[in-house]
Amino acid sequence: MEVKTNNYFDFRRCVTILKATGKKAKNLRELRDLLEVVSDNSIVHHTFHYFLKGHILEFTNDFAEWAGNYLEERSLSEQLSNIDPYTFKDINELRKTLIETIDDFLELFPEPREVPPGNEFYFNETITLVFPVGIKVKNLAEFLIAIRYVDDECIYYHFYEARTRLGDSIDDFSMWIEHALNKKTLAEKIRSIDPFMHNIEGIRRHIIDAVEEEVKRDMEEVV
Amino acid sequence: MIEKYKGIVPKGDLILIERLCEKLKGCSFLHVNSTRAGGGVAEILQRMIPILEELGLKVRWEVIEGDGKFFDITKKIHNALQGNEERFTKEMWEYHFEVNRWNAEKMNLEADAVFIHDPQPAPLIKFRPKNKESLWFWRCHIDLSNPQKSVCDHLMKYYEGYDAGIFSVSKFARGEKDLEFIVPPSIDPLSEKNRELTEQEIQETLEKFDIPPDRPMILQVSRFDRFKDPIGVIKAYRIVKRYNDCVLVLAGSPATDDPEGEIVLNEVKEFAANDPDIKVLLLPPFSDRDINALQRAATVVLQKSLKEGFGLTVSEAMWKGKPVIGGAVGGIPLQIIHRVTGFLVHSVEGAAFRIRQFLNNPTMTEKMGQKGREHVWHNFLITRQIRDYLSIWYYMKEGKEGILEL
Repeated sequence: MEVKTNNYFDFRRCVTILKATGKKAKNLRELRDLLEVVSDNSIVHHTFHYFLKGHILEFTNDFAEWAGNYLEERSLSEQLSNIDPYTFKDINELRKTLIETIDDFLELFPEPREVPPGNEFYFNETITLVFPVGIKVKNLAEFLIAIRYVDDECIYYHFYEARTRLGDSIDDFSMWIEHALNKKTLAEKIRSIDPFMHNIEGIRRHIIDAVEEEVKRDMEEVV
Repeated sequence: MIEKYKGIVPKGDLILIERLCEKLKGCSFLHVNSTRAGGGVAEILQRMIPILEELGLKVRWEVIEGDGKFFDITKKIHNALQGNEERFTKEMWEYHFEVNRWNAEKMNLEADAVFIHDPQPAPLIKFRPKNKESLWFWRCHIDLSNPQKSVCDHLMKYYEGYDAGIFSVSKFARGEKDLEFIVPPSIDPLSEKNRELTEQEIQETLEKFDIPPDRPMILQVSRFDRFKDPIGVIKAYRIVKRYNDCVLVLAGSPATDDPEGEIVLNEVKEFAANDPDIKVLLLPPFSDRDINALQRAATVVLQKSLKEGFGLTVSEAMWKGKPVIGGAVGGIPLQIIHRVTGFLVHSVEGAAFRIRQFLNNPTMTEKMGQKGREHVWHNFLITRQIRDYLSIWYYMKEGKEGILEL
């Protein structure tokens, strides 16, 4: 993990390139059946990567968005949006929960409608490229400057993607703040930011607010 | 060249391009398409090639040559792939192939990565040099979501020879290969068409075309092509006119691979019926500064396409802070987030309604325009596209790992 090297925080960024699978669903039953067979990478893309899209805070994954906007099945859309991908121990568990949610809905409404041609759900996968962006910081004041201007994908990588690497809803920022800077309270404050209720700009703002407050407090203590 | 983009495009994209070019240094990269002027493909290549050369790649751009008969055939292929019913004979397909054979004989097709753009040069795959290890990509920019089956099937015979396909939108991908990538096209913020202009430069263009600077202007920039629905735009303008003063400008350039342009242009002029407030402008190729000025002077920009590859004029206008009303086809919904960066419409009436909303609510117009510019900054600038092309090439070269650390 990059944060442990010399106690520096080395900002990285990830970029995803879309890869089509050729699989598409025109109704809920087809979506459900394809969910059983698509790759883990595809499930990850349509759930975890949703936060990379600069979304409007209406849904939390592509399946929920399609159910809401194209199938116009609002209650299903809400249920799918409520699935937190970070709480599953592996992708198959997440896959199972998505399928069960759709199955429950299909039991109540067994004749799903079809979307017009062109509005089908297209399953994609991604190639991910991860690279350092050349910004290393060693204390909270430097971190505060950097976090203001790093690209959105840096925030995504360290705040969202980190959760799949580190588990337990932990992100790179709070890890570094807790272990390299010994600031447990601030780390907990960052961990308490709800990842579903903000777009990346919102996450950035909350981190800035929390860190700024801490830096001010540190400066006042020095005086 | 790449230095000039600093501070304008996302910094991370520049870093990744530099890293990928270090990895691919000295490799050769060939692009083949069918026109040097007109259309989004040529525009992107014009700007992308010098950047890659500067970063150490050996890049070439070849243009397939053909006569009127060839381009009539390829225009029909293009229309059929976009869903129009066209008649094809065996002789037409043979001619398409023969022109490609003739081009292949005088073209150097050796390169480490070869991008063949669109259907016109697609048969070149049959002339792929055997003695060199290379990667061949078919880069399709057109809407293949509802093609005429027989035409698509014929083209797929060429497609199967390629190592991978690259499409602009997920729904255009064919699902015929394991390796099909999605790369939306992009605009260049430094090009003559998108750079910042002075007020005087904008005024010069308005004067040149006799467009009143003090009246609201509705603008559509596109080739004169039925899929762009210029007649529908005039119909929408006529509905708007009942309550709102405005001028309509329809501006487009001819492309050498589009023989139908003149016919559609005449239809549009006839339909405009000498209305002094409708300006139908046939701009010569490389009228980029004028297009830039028109987009900056516009109050509302339309891209009311019925079929669309991607519709980059949407991103061009959004980059200039203009909200856009677009048909919900092709790549337009990727650019217009409905109610956030503009409006998606499905009819003449819908277009008219949204134009009226913009004309009557300048605060909303400005806010959506700003959101649009941010959306383009994140997603549709040329550096993102270069980054994607290089990433795909590197991925193919490096054994196709799902996560690549650089």
